[in-house]
Amino acid sequence: MTPVKRVVITATCAALGIVLPMAFHALPGAGNVWLPMHIPVLVCGLVAGPASGLAAGLLAPVLSSLLTGMPPAPLLPSMTFELMTYGLVSGLLCARVRTGRLALDLYVSLVGAMICGRLVSGALQALIFSAGSYSLAAWVTGSFVTALPGIVLQLVVVVPVAAALERAGLVEPRYPDAR
Amino acid sequence: MRSASAYVWADSPLHRMPASAKFAGFATAVVLVVLASTPDQLAVATAAVVALVAVSRVGWARAGHALWGLRWFLLAVLVLNAVFFSSADPVLELGPARLTWEGVAQGVRVVVRTALIVVLGSLLTATTRPQQITDGVRTLLRPLARLGVPTEAAALAVGVTMQFVPTLLRESRLLARAQALRCGDFAACGIMHGAVSYVRLLVPVFVSAFRRADELSAAMEARGYRVSSRPARPRERKRP
Repeated sequence: MTPVKRVVITATCAALGIVLPMAFHALPGAGNVWLPMHIPVLVCGLVAGPASGLAAGLLAPVLSSLLTGMPPAPLLPSMTFELMTYGLVSGLLCARVRTGRLALDLYVSLVGAMICGRLVSGALQALIFSAGSYSLAAWVTGSFVTALPGIVLQLVVVVPVAAALERAGLVEPRYPDAR
Repeated sequence: MRSASAYVWADSPLHRMPASAKFAGFATAVVLVVLASTPDQLAVATAAVVALVAVSRVGWARAGHALWGLRWFLLAVLVLNAVFFSSADPVLELGPARLTWEGVAQGVRVVVRTALIVVLGSLLTATTRPQQITDGVRTLLRPLARLGVPTEAAALAVGVTMQFVPTLLRESRLLARAQALRCGDFAACGIMHGAVSYVRLLVPVFVSAFRRADELSAAMEARGYRVSSRPARPRERKRP
């Protein structure tokens, strides 16, 4: 993938991270429950690498906050770090995990990124953004209980999207010899 | 569905100010609002933001539009702080929830700070065109080039993102309408049906967006556009 295409794909994923929460807000509680902004960032890390995932995780929430007011500024720092972790870790794992099966590679990378992002988010909330007033119960509730539909959605959607992009020839094939 | 374009056409000192100066001012104002804790400090901050809204000529409704969208979130923050922030001297007690004056004061502080920051953000985007935001980012990032940060790539990414938002929004609307015609309105058919429709819609939205990205990058490369993996030195930039 050329550097220009990598930058444009990063920007496209960041734009999708702004558009999806706007476009699908008809679903009840789309933000906290369905986590639509996470999906393009995870896809970006998987198909374009860790640097692109990191950049998409930075751009999507910051520009969305500026353009639409969501996420609100007080929630922006923790959410930005969480999304940057998703993009970075999904890209790093995807570059290293090679099982020989595309779907398995992508699922291992996706689940690893989802766990790391939530751990980083919880640690930052407890140590910096909500120091002293953040509990383990609040982290479990916010990251796993409220967001359960979003977690299921990510597990159902992200890998098929990444695979569909590869099948459509829009990103480099992971196993070119397998074709 | 909200519009992606937040710019309000008007002629005011805030509209004429360079975007990079507005970014720096916005960051400073956010820090000052976050640091304000006493009622006097919050009153001064509120007065300053009200004065900025008046000077900007974007209109009170436009400046406060984002706040209306956050009304339930702000109410929840106020109530949660009022009943859970403190347990000393409760006015009302119901199980683990204790309504206290200290909690109410903390809730009001957090809500006022959040509202002021939201209004400041609205003012920034209402007085700055997307292209000016891109140029402002490029100007602000320029010093980081000396540290090895690829600032041109970062500015390009911000610019393409800003340009793609309205296009992708339009396209996702079209795809959502096409799906609604085939399968019914997914917003009115319950959460599970809506979720399934949402999943079906995501793959075409992504493929369509990546196809656009592919075409754009091919066109840019065909016209000789290159992104260096390392930042250009000043001497290299001057070369014709």
